[in-house]
Amino acid sequence: MVRLAYRNLFQSKVRLAISVGGVALALMLILALDAIMTGSEERLTAYIDNSGADVWVAQSGVRNLHMVASWIPASVTNEVKDVPGVESATPIMYLTAPVDTKAEQSLAYVIGLPEDAAMGKPWRVVEGRAVPKPGEAVIDRSVAERSGIKLGDKVKILGQILEVTGVAEGTSTLTNSVAFISMKDFERVRGGGKVVSFVLVKVGPGQPPEAVAKRIEGEVGGVTAQRAQAFAEQERRLVNDMAGDLLAIMNLAGFLTGLAVVALTVYTATLARRSEYGVLKALGASNGRLYGVVLVQALYSVVLGFAVGLAFTLALSAAMPALDANLPMQVGVASLLKVGGVSLVIACLAAVLPVRQIAGLDPATVFRG
Amino acid sequence: MKDSTLQVTHVTKRFGTGETEVVAVCDVSLSVAAGEVVLIMGPSGSGKSTLLSMLGALLKPTEGEIRLREEVLSTLSESRLPTVRLHQFGFIFQDFNLLSALTVLENVALVAELAGAKRGEAREKARAQLTALGLGQRLDFLPEKLSGGEKQRVAIARALINEPALILADEPTANLDSKIGHEIMRLLRHIAKEQNRSVIIVSHDARIKDIADRVLWLEDGRFKDMVAMATDPVCGMAVEKEMAVVAEWNGRTFYFCSRGCRDEFFEDPHTFTDGDDV
Repeated sequence: MVRLAYRNLFQSKVRLAISVGGVALALMLILALDAIMTGSEERLTAYIDNSGADVWVAQSGVRNLHMVASWIPASVTNEVKDVPGVESATPIMYLTAPVDTKAEQSLAYVIGLPEDAAMGKPWRVVEGRAVPKPGEAVIDRSVAERSGIKLGDKVKILGQILEVTGVAEGTSTLTNSVAFISMKDFERVRGGGKVVSFVLVKVGPGQPPEAVAKRIEGEVGGVTAQRAQAFAEQERRLVNDMAGDLLAIMNLAGFLTGLAVVALTVYTATLARRSEYGVLKALGASNGRLYGVVLVQALYSVVLGFAVGLAFTLALSAAMPALDANLPMQVGVASLLKVGGVSLVIACLAAVLPVRQIAGLDPATVFRG
Repeated sequence: MKDSTLQVTHVTKRFGTGETEVVAVCDVSLSVAAGEVVLIMGPSGSGKSTLLSMLGALLKPTEGEIRLREEVLSTLSESRLPTVRLHQFGFIFQDFNLLSALTVLENVALVAELAGAKRGEAREKARAQLTALGLGQRLDFLPEKLSGGEKQRVAIARALINEPALILADEPTANLDSKIGHEIMRLLRHIAKEQNRSVIIVSHDARIKDIADRVLWLEDGRFKDMVAMATDPVCGMAVEKEMAVVAEWNGRTFYFCSRGCRDEFFEDPHTFTDGDDV
């Protein structure tokens, strides 16, 4: 009966192509969205992941980077350095602000770095230097390329005209990039007392970051200290929560499109062979076996569609860098399992209508012309 | 009858109730012996298809009993009937009803597989059956590549693959020319006698009467005495001479099932009479 399902499906190649193409596009929608989210998540926390810090110390109650303000006294840096288990500490300043290149304004996490910064620097500098001096800035390559900015050109950050002395890579996300300026420029703009946004901590050899973070919270007042991984996880969760509804709607759209395409294909394929199913029933095939034929047809369509959709998504992911699109895509195992599960549900639901049709088929019709 | 394959006793089939009730088959009794070929004829709407459906365990009678060998079909549960059909019956249809997506070999092997044979075994049986019926060179053909006669022989192979006790054929010659139709009927008769299988054929085609051991006339749902029959030269239907539309042409008498056929005949009589005896 599996062979019959296969032959039934492959006999009409146009119908099969439409079905597989439709399912592939629908599943590709889900896969591509997941891949973009996974890729973006990785980029989203790229600064945290590559900062070199084991522990992030922030203003009390601040647990992530996105859309927050964190201000702690600059003296906290030395207090943190005195906590047992801390090897080194680097203060950074942080604000979300646009990078104005004249050609465009793009949103960025602006990081103020001390000149001797051991942590929190750009980790992959493709041109120029990593740590900017006063009057200088390091910007993301995609921003520089989009605006035609080269080393020595000027950009406006936090209201100051700064010279681009470094171009970094891997510091852009779907929505923003990371720009680095000197701590002194940052302080001048901010004004007020001596404050920093975060203190990045490197723990000593053999020291568990979790324990050191707790110790910092205990010994330094008014701060929240977290392992870098926990800090990154909070960041991911926040952005996922923000994009969750959109993602759910797009996933539902993909699911319903795939379901409609497969259901229609299997339904029309069954309708076209209604009399043949009647003959099989008359000959003695049980309903269960005939349902199996329909289900296998639906599964074939969905499995082929899944394979084609995955191939397209992987091809798109591979093509992204070549297209200079600032859209990181990464197909993850969890996404494959999810879309695989969705495909199976589509196949089963798509078989319901044809199965009902077969169930109602009277085998005696074979003798009525 | 002691050695009868099929025993039909006072079978009636009614559709609907009250004023809309239709009695399609009324108090029919019949016994078919092993190896016997029975031809059931009758006008359209006489209940032939309903009777055939009941004999083939596709439809349950309202009253009466149908017994195939030792098994009473009319009391079997719906869930048991497919298995009985698969093992005890062979079906041959007017339109051949082969599965268009499967090859000749697969069409026949599938029915053996449904009955429980393993794939290899089913294909071997099908190959042997088809070769015996002269289709050894057509095993990998799709049905659309076959002639009408070949298709019907594939249908016969399919009907025989599970070695059924009873073969039911519904208008098996309707889509074949008279020569091929007769060949197919002779083949069926040969199989019945050689393999001791019972064959029941329902047909309008009076030209195949000679291959039957017994011809029954069904009219208004009842078996009646055979009446004088003729073949409509236009549509090939068997018609009762007494009830037919009669016309004379070129010194001969012709019998038609309807005025339409008579009118069509007179548009070009030569088309319908060349080489035919009426």
